[in-house]
Amino acid sequence: MEMLHCLNIPANVSGNGGPDMTVLERQRGRMKWQQEEQHQQALLQQQQQSLFDGNEVNLFSMQAQAQQFQEMMNNEPSLGELVTRAMKPDPGMENGWPDFGTIGEATGLGIGSCGFETGLDMNYAISRTTSCPPAVAADVAVADAEGTESILPEKPSSMVGRESFKKRKADKKTHQCSAISEDDSKEKRIKGCAEEGDSKITELKSNSSKNTTNNNGGTSGDTSKENSKVSDVQKPDYIHVRARRGQATDSHSLAERVRREKISERMKYLQNLVPGCNKITGKAGMLDEIINYVQSLQRQVEFLSMKLAAVNPRLEFNINNLFAKEMFPACTSNFPAIGLSSEMANPAYLQFNPLQQAVSSGLEMGINPSDVALRRTISAPLSIPETFIDSSCFNQIQSFSTWDAELQNLYGIELQGRSTPFPSQPFTGSIEAGNPKMEM
Amino acid sequence: MRMHNISSLKQEFLKKWAMGLQTYRASKKDMSIWERKKAIKLSADIAMASTRTANSYWSRALIYNSSKNHCNKVPVEHVLGSESECLVKASTQLVMNNKRVRSKKILKRSCSVRRMKKILAVPQVGLASSIAKRLVKKRTQVLKSLLPGGEFMDEFSLIKETLDYIVSLRVQVDVMQQLADATDRLNRSKVINKE
Repeated sequence: MEMLHCLNIPANVSGNGGPDMTVLERQRGRMKWQQEEQHQQALLQQQQQSLFDGNEVNLFSMQAQAQQFQEMMNNEPSLGELVTRAMKPDPGMENGWPDFGTIGEATGLGIGSCGFETGLDMNYAISRTTSCPPAVAADVAVADAEGTESILPEKPSSMVGRESFKKRKADKKTHQCSAISEDDSKEKRIKGCAEEGDSKITELKSNSSKNTTNNNGGTSGDTSKENSKVSDVQKPDYIHVRARRGQATDSHSLAERVRREKISERMKYLQNLVPGCNKITGKAGMLDEIINYVQSLQRQVEFLSMKLAAVNPRLEFNINNLFAKEMFPACTSNFPAIGLSSEMANPAYLQFNPLQQAVSSGLEMGINPSDVALRRTISAPLSIPETFIDSSCFNQIQSFSTWDAELQNLYGIELQGRSTPFPSQPFTGSIEAGNPKMEM
Repeated sequence: MRMHNISSLKQEFLKKWAMGLQTYRASKKDMSIWERKKAIKLSADIAMASTRTANSYWSRALIYNSSKNHCNKVPVEHVLGSESECLVKASTQLVMNNKRVRSKKILKRSCSVRRMKKILAVPQVGLASSIAKRLVKKRTQVLKSLLPGGEFMDEFSLIKETLDYIVSLRVQVDVMQQLADATDRLNRSKVINKE
């Protein structure tokens, strides 16, 4: 909405009424513009001086301005007219870029301070910085023309802050040059510049929209609309393409960027998760590694289930308590304190009760050791996996690889504990093996 | 998200797996090694999936796929137990989603044809990037084929699901590994006992 000001004021001057404008808005725009002009005339000399050496100061070149230039070119403006007209859009700009004031406050302030040493309010300073460049650029345009050429070539789309500002400035200068020379061939280039300006502006907006969220989406949409409107009056051919392009960049860049960020964040997690993926840069390589890893895991599951099927030819079920029992000495040796206390206190123990019964029933069919020993072996181990996992997790909150290492470690200890005392009775033996360790 | 619930994940998985295996044992007395292997794998997969149903898509897809297979139906329901109603819901939801995604895919394809024309028109500029894109796309396709239900995911959810899937697969592998080691050792000790 606010962007309308800058477009409509010139439109009023040239005799075309802005259809969408409310009277109030128009008035406000005009008021601001008048204020602006006063200030500007007072400051023009200063500006020219300061801007001459500090080229970085002419930063904000706006697409609106670019369009102004086109208009001017069509109207055959003199240089003086050019300057004044170029200033006209500024009130609009002040309105249209409130985010600049807030978000780019640092840059805006910097610009204001280096460009104008006069102590004025922030708003004015900003609006002036935006407004002055065209005027001065007109003066310097011829001299700078070569310089701008080098800046013009396309850069990657993710331009932020000053860089984009500079570019804009460059664009504007080229506009000015060609406006003066009034070449048809140059008009095309200007169009291109305007387009670039468009995309850049929308980009900037999308950048700022990360901070201010919703507002900008609306405004950027408006700007693109306006573009099409203004240019509709002039040349229907180009406009269509341009408007579309502008729109595409906005909605696209906004949504795309958010999406991409999310994806890359997840990719980082994945990178940490998948071993050997840390050194790889590039999405394709990472995906390769991830695919390999997933495949290997799937194969491992396959293999392990095969192994399990081969290892116990009778009933699968007694595997479970065997496993639990086997884990018992290892766990107690590694975490002696937890091993016993948690056996009673652990809620997991209660949780596993139905399972325990199932296990014992399964065991009765399979193996037949003494009943008491069986009870113990079953009840204790089942509670243990949790404690053992807990403590290991506690040890490495950071990464999985260390966790794996810990597991390996556990296995090693388990094997040791297994190999040293090996009595004839496996069930009671395992408990005995566990007990001395616990006392340690 | 991953760290603190790995222990509970393992526990739950073990519990469910045990239950699943029990049902298998109840249903069939003697099986060939292949049957046993299949049973073990299926029950493990389903147990894993059912521990993750709440927050992941792949698990639902896995359950749906395995329950589609007729002979698997009984054990699946056993493992899931009370959650079998959820399963039905999830599966129907899945089917609905699939249809929607399919139509989207067609739309996308038609768009991409147009885009391809554009790319062909400007061969020099976008060559490298288009090659890179193609590489990534190919790999994404492969990854989608690896993940249960992956065909119907977009890129973002695919990565999210892959994360989840990898974590759960690791848990599964860990538990199974421990189990295998334990049985191995027990068998050995039995042999020694006999001697």
